[in-house]
Amino acid sequence: MTGGNTVGFAGLSHLGTIYSTAAAMRGFSVVGFDKRPELVASLSAGRLPITEPGLDDATREHRDRLRYTSDSAELSACPLVFIALDVSTDDSNNSDLAPLEALIEEVAGAVSPESVLVIMSQVPPGFCRRLVQKIRQDVAIYYQVETLIFGDALGRAVHPERYMVGCADPTTAFPDAYEHFLAAFECPILPMRYESAELCKIAINCFLVSTVSTANTLAEICENIKADWSEIVPALRLDKRIGVHAYLKPGLGIAGGNLERDLVTVQNLAATYGCDSRVVTAWQHNSAYARDWVLRRLSALGLLAREEDAVFSLWGLAYKTDTHSTKNSPALALLRALPKYQWQAFDPVAALPAEGFPEVRVVSSPLESARNAMALVVMTPWKQFASVDLEAVRSAMRGREIVDPYAALDRALCAKHGFRYHSLGSEPC
Amino acid sequence: MLTHQSIHAVNPSRVVILGASGFIATQLQRVLRESGIPARAVGSKEVDLTTSDSAGMLATLLQHEDCVVMASALTPDKGRDIAATMKNLRMGENVCAAIGEAKPAHFVYISSDAVYDGRSSSLINEESSREPSDLYALAHIGREKMLEQSCAAAGIPLAIVRPCAVYGPGDTHNSYGPNRFIRTAAETGKITLFGRGEERRHHIFIDDVAGILQLCIRHRSSGAINAVSGQAISFGEVAEMVAAAAKRPVTIEFRPRASAITHRHFDLSASIKAFPDFAATSLTAGIARSMVNL
Repeated sequence: MTGGNTVGFAGLSHLGTIYSTAAAMRGFSVVGFDKRPELVASLSAGRLPITEPGLDDATREHRDRLRYTSDSAELSACPLVFIALDVSTDDSNNSDLAPLEALIEEVAGAVSPESVLVIMSQVPPGFCRRLVQKIRQDVAIYYQVETLIFGDALGRAVHPERYMVGCADPTTAFPDAYEHFLAAFECPILPMRYESAELCKIAINCFLVSTVSTANTLAEICENIKADWSEIVPALRLDKRIGVHAYLKPGLGIAGGNLERDLVTVQNLAATYGCDSRVVTAWQHNSAYARDWVLRRLSALGLLAREEDAVFSLWGLAYKTDTHSTKNSPALALLRALPKYQWQAFDPVAALPAEGFPEVRVVSSPLESARNAMALVVMTPWKQFASVDLEAVRSAMRGREIVDPYAALDRALCAKHGFRYHSLGSEPC
Repeated sequence: MLTHQSIHAVNPSRVVILGASGFIATQLQRVLRESGIPARAVGSKEVDLTTSDSAGMLATLLQHEDCVVMASALTPDKGRDIAATMKNLRMGENVCAAIGEAKPAHFVYISSDAVYDGRSSSLINEESSREPSDLYALAHIGREKMLEQSCAAAGIPLAIVRPCAVYGPGDTHNSYGPNRFIRTAAETGKITLFGRGEERRHHIFIDDVAGILQLCIRHRSSGAINAVSGQAISFGEVAEMVAAAAKRPVTIEFRPRASAITHRHFDLSASIKAFPDFAATSLTAGIARSMVNL
């Protein structure tokens, strides 16, 4: 691995923490800046506020190259600084760019002349072009598309498939410090104008949403015509036009915040410029409809016309595996939709928010969650759930229904243990 | 999407039902009586809502603590023409004037799933566009919008309940579907289907409509809810269920269809969230209960 320069990362949210660690793993000395002193202290002590596979070990192994500070003046030692603050969204999935703009202003004031600022934060098209007009002229601005996946973020940061870099002029060579950094990751580099790069990120997410939405739609049809979506998926993957890595698993709607934000950005752009975004609206409707699949299934099974003391078991609170995030989580949506029911919930990583779930008891194991339950609902397909003793689960439960939308458990084993099993894309067994 | 002003069900001090003798109104009165909720039905003989003085008369009747349920309408069997439409709209206008003056505590409007475009086979939910495919639908949409505006201006929570086809004992409309099939099976031993009866529709039992209305009343709900059964079933299957439940042999005969097949399915998610422990009567059970005295 090559390296040697010092690079700065400003904004130590999930994005900044991951990429700063990836840079250290590639041999760079890193100055990580965040104006929250308690976060800086925590990172300096090796206590990471996020959960990602391999991250704890990597930061421990490369701690000699990672220095955290809440003093932006220390960034003056970095010829290359990445603005890596995740952009938060409100309940309508609109971005709040104010914290990012404040951060950029502070960092731009701190860096040395001829420095390079690379924006990695999730910004709408047009952001960088406007930024260039406002910022000091002796600092070069680039936009670098981030393609992290929660639960696989570090791997994707250390071994990117390609870099997409937004430039004021894509025909101009990168400054040395940036060229050196990009080359260290040994992947194709695609320079393009700012607006193309900003939209490129959104385009990637739109294609992901489109395949998932199609999978959701066709999986539901499978459930009704006695087809099995899992039998169809391998055939799709072998079609080069679709591909082996296509997102073909049906799910409970898009979640996590990033995909939802990008769909809203496309709709806002379409509304501004008079473009047709009805397909995006269809994806959003599909997501909202998919989100309630478990709710509709519990109702159809008659489980909600309840006895007063009926209990439900819920495995998984996070919006997906390998993350602590419950942003737009289908599990929380289900709990909010059924507030008067008693739930016993377990998640190996994610925590239930403190407010808003008075009838939910968080327990310390899947088996404890299953005790006396009328039905078991598996809302996050954590790998460990597949190895839970189903015989013990059966003995613990009162009811026999397992609603496992993501097929985290083995369908045949569940049936063998006397459960009635429900998952997306096939009829119950 | 329906929201509840009262998380826990609470009986109102009185329910005033506009439209005393209709199918749904009659059943609702029975259900409220059985629940011990005082109810007063106002029929057209007492207050003719199509006349210009009806607003004042109705306002005088209403009390501030009332829950008003509007069931009064000229249904399609009484006319789908312009005259019937204008009468329906006039009723809406006069009721809005009355509640603007009397300001009751709650208003429940019994609308219809006709407000959704009947030509579309897409999955329908409460967020689907209201698009009139005929004048009857136009009248309901017009009344919904009038009430939305008037109730918002007066600060009155408004619940709009949109039933699909309603069936059951006491039906006064005899529309194509369970009601007509049950009637003709009992009277003539025949059920007539258009095409092979392929169209899939929801059919909700009258007791369930009254049940949902009662829940809306007791929770002081606002917003819209579709009152539908759990599943769309073809007219052909309904005919077979009726034939199986009949006390005499029944022949199902087929006539050429006059229009293309369309299906109508509803997304139940919002209904489930509004009243998760409400369970609709199965079609088999509803048909059996409808035929018990035939």
